[in-house]
Amino acid sequence: MRARNFVSVIAAVGAGVALVSGCGQGGASGSSGDSKVIKIGTLHPMTGSNAGDGAQLQHGAELAVKKINDAGGIKALGGAKLELDAGDTKGTPDTGQSEAQRLVSDGAVALVGSYQSAVSANIAAVAERNKVPFVMDISGDDAILSHGYRYSFRLQPQNSRFGATAAQYIKDITKSKGRPVTKIAYLHEATAFGTGVYTAFKSEAQKLGLAMGPEITYDAASVSDLTTQIAKVKASGANILVVSGYYRDGVLAAKAVQTVKPKLDAVIGAADGAFDQPQFPTDAGSAANGYFDVNYHLNDKSAEAKAFADLYQAAYHDKARASAGFAYDSVRIIAAALERAGSKDPGKIRDAIAKTDLNPLSLSNGPVTFDEKGENTAGLPVLTQIQDGAPSVVYPDNLAAKTIVYPAPVQ
Amino acid sequence: MTTTTAPPAPTPAPTRERAQSLKRSLLILVAIAAVAACAPFVLPESRQSIAIRVLIFAMMAIGWNLMSGYGGMFSFGHAAYFGIGAYTDTYLLVTFGWSPWLALVVGAALAALVAAGIGYVAFRYKLRSAYFALGTFAIAEMLRLLATNTKWVNGTTGYHVPLLPESSWTMLQFGANAAEYFYIGLAMVVVCMVVTLLYLRSRSGIYTVAIRDNEDAADALGISVMRVRLTTMALSAAITAAAGMFYAQYYTFVDPDTAFGSAQSVQAIAPAVIGGVATPWGPLVGALILGPLADLTVTWLRTPPAFLDFLTGRSGLDVVLYAILLIVIALVLPKGIVGSIQEWWKRR
Repeated sequence: MRARNFVSVIAAVGAGVALVSGCGQGGASGSSGDSKVIKIGTLHPMTGSNAGDGAQLQHGAELAVKKINDAGGIKALGGAKLELDAGDTKGTPDTGQSEAQRLVSDGAVALVGSYQSAVSANIAAVAERNKVPFVMDISGDDAILSHGYRYSFRLQPQNSRFGATAAQYIKDITKSKGRPVTKIAYLHEATAFGTGVYTAFKSEAQKLGLAMGPEITYDAASVSDLTTQIAKVKASGANILVVSGYYRDGVLAAKAVQTVKPKLDAVIGAADGAFDQPQFPTDAGSAANGYFDVNYHLNDKSAEAKAFADLYQAAYHDKARASAGFAYDSVRIIAAALERAGSKDPGKIRDAIAKTDLNPLSLSNGPVTFDEKGENTAGLPVLTQIQDGAPSVVYPDNLAAKTIVYPAPVQ
Repeated sequence: MTTTTAPPAPTPAPTRERAQSLKRSLLILVAIAAVAACAPFVLPESRQSIAIRVLIFAMMAIGWNLMSGYGGMFSFGHAAYFGIGAYTDTYLLVTFGWSPWLALVVGAALAALVAAGIGYVAFRYKLRSAYFALGTFAIAEMLRLLATNTKWVNGTTGYHVPLLPESSWTMLQFGANAAEYFYIGLAMVVVCMVVTLLYLRSRSGIYTVAIRDNEDAADALGISVMRVRLTTMALSAAITAAAGMFYAQYYTFVDPDTAFGSAQSVQAIAPAVIGGVATPWGPLVGALILGPLADLTVTWLRTPPAFLDFLTGRSGLDVVLYAILLIVIALVLPKGIVGSIQEWWKRR
């Protein structure tokens, strides 16, 4: 007994020492870099509850690197090849920060990430302090770029834009179809994302003279049923329900609507994570029919976006989500900036990124350009609707693939 | 009440011997601090943030160990005190431009007050063992939801510490990866350790352990159980709040989940349990193992040895390792690493 205990103590101490001493070796090996290789750091949640989305983003970035390298690398730097240095944020801000710091110390000239706003907020501070550019593929919270950071840029339209655009679209459609809004009920998840979209929606709706009904919130992490919330919608007498949430709770909302059957002319997502996804009709069944979503979307008409979707399917045996396209474009923006800067100096790359002018894979108001805050001025949320079991763009008219069906009462 | 009426141990240790053991502990602490102080020279720059994480883990675990290890009041909600420290700091800094050092005093006092309040209600209504643990968990969750839904602490958005153009000791802000962060964190850990060691030698500290071992006997001997427990809880909360303030300053960002989330409660418990509950050095040893665990497995997985090639690029192994480590320690070393070493040393 005594001997066994002794052995285990030694083993445990030994393991501890090995872990700690391994510390020193790990970082040292990273700094030896080929001058013909340019490192770009990616920061996505590769483990944890958002690992599925993290993988999509990571794959998008990988495809962009492969494409650029196959086409001869960065020509202004003698055909230097891009290399991804992949960080795992685990979806937590402090790991995101330490990973960002590690990537910068290991020589990454730019960072791409990170899916969650709280994590991106931390990485943006790291980027600012180290003077290394950070391009956000997906992260919606307006506050991230409200601190006057010079080194951070965001490709995805920010939350407030989703909210405001959704209100505008609802006004346009209800007016043109001759079925005006009596009252809008709003269901949203309770963190920064849902609250931010709601706040922007409400202020725009008030400007447009749309009557707002009840605001109903829920905790997306723990919710297992939304019928009580939908019953409130029914009782309010609203004819439009707007929803901002993630995928799982979006499906729950659709099922609850089908059960409770409120008298609605339409259910419309504002940046909702479910209502524009190809697998949503599969998971929600007939409840999904006619659902709208105001969200970012790949440009189905562009040959490049089609090629990307095919490439993605072939490489990873999965459907590319729109977010993967944003990661792909983020790497392209950095590559284009490297070409223009003709230098690996992060400060010069930053200045070149600020002058970005690039046609994205996603639907957009023209090429991507960044304003002085670092927001993508061309980001354009579009309206999609589930028709015949699949989401299609139905508004604005010039981008629409199918005609809008409104009212789209609950079945 | 006099000391002669309270001998829970067979014979109270003579004062001289007690003073000697305190001296020895302090010497060990100085030695540990001296070795740790070399870290910034040895560690590559990209590993500095891991060293900081170890320090934050250590501070949280020292706080938890005092209340739950020595005091026997199992807390599953130390995130409450951690979050109070972090939020007080950022709130006062962002809103009024206060120095984090002042905010530290306020935050620690506030956390101590909250802890004493929670303790008073819990013990007044005789909440014990598992129910007490659940209660602390519920309080932390309540605070998280409160912060999430309270507009004047910025709701879900939380706070960003504004970045300064230059380093500043008063505002506790330095360049990214500056060694100052490490030394300030180390100094804070040392202070927390000294406070803990002194407290455990004080009358109140000795009573704390006595109450843990036999509450009824201690009560019968005239120890004011409530007062001693509340003092211990308050001190534990103040230490944990200091960790929260340092976290906020280093990461320059807090939101309800990072401050009050249950992950923080676990991070206060795990190092202490792995290192050894109710041992003075357990939290430090545990933090030193758990802090780098995730990063090292990830680094190692990027270039694994040849026979483990199939693991390349797999993520999540650190979580598996973490779980295995906890299981192995619980089975083989139920007293934690330091606890088992101590036991072995005594029986030798």
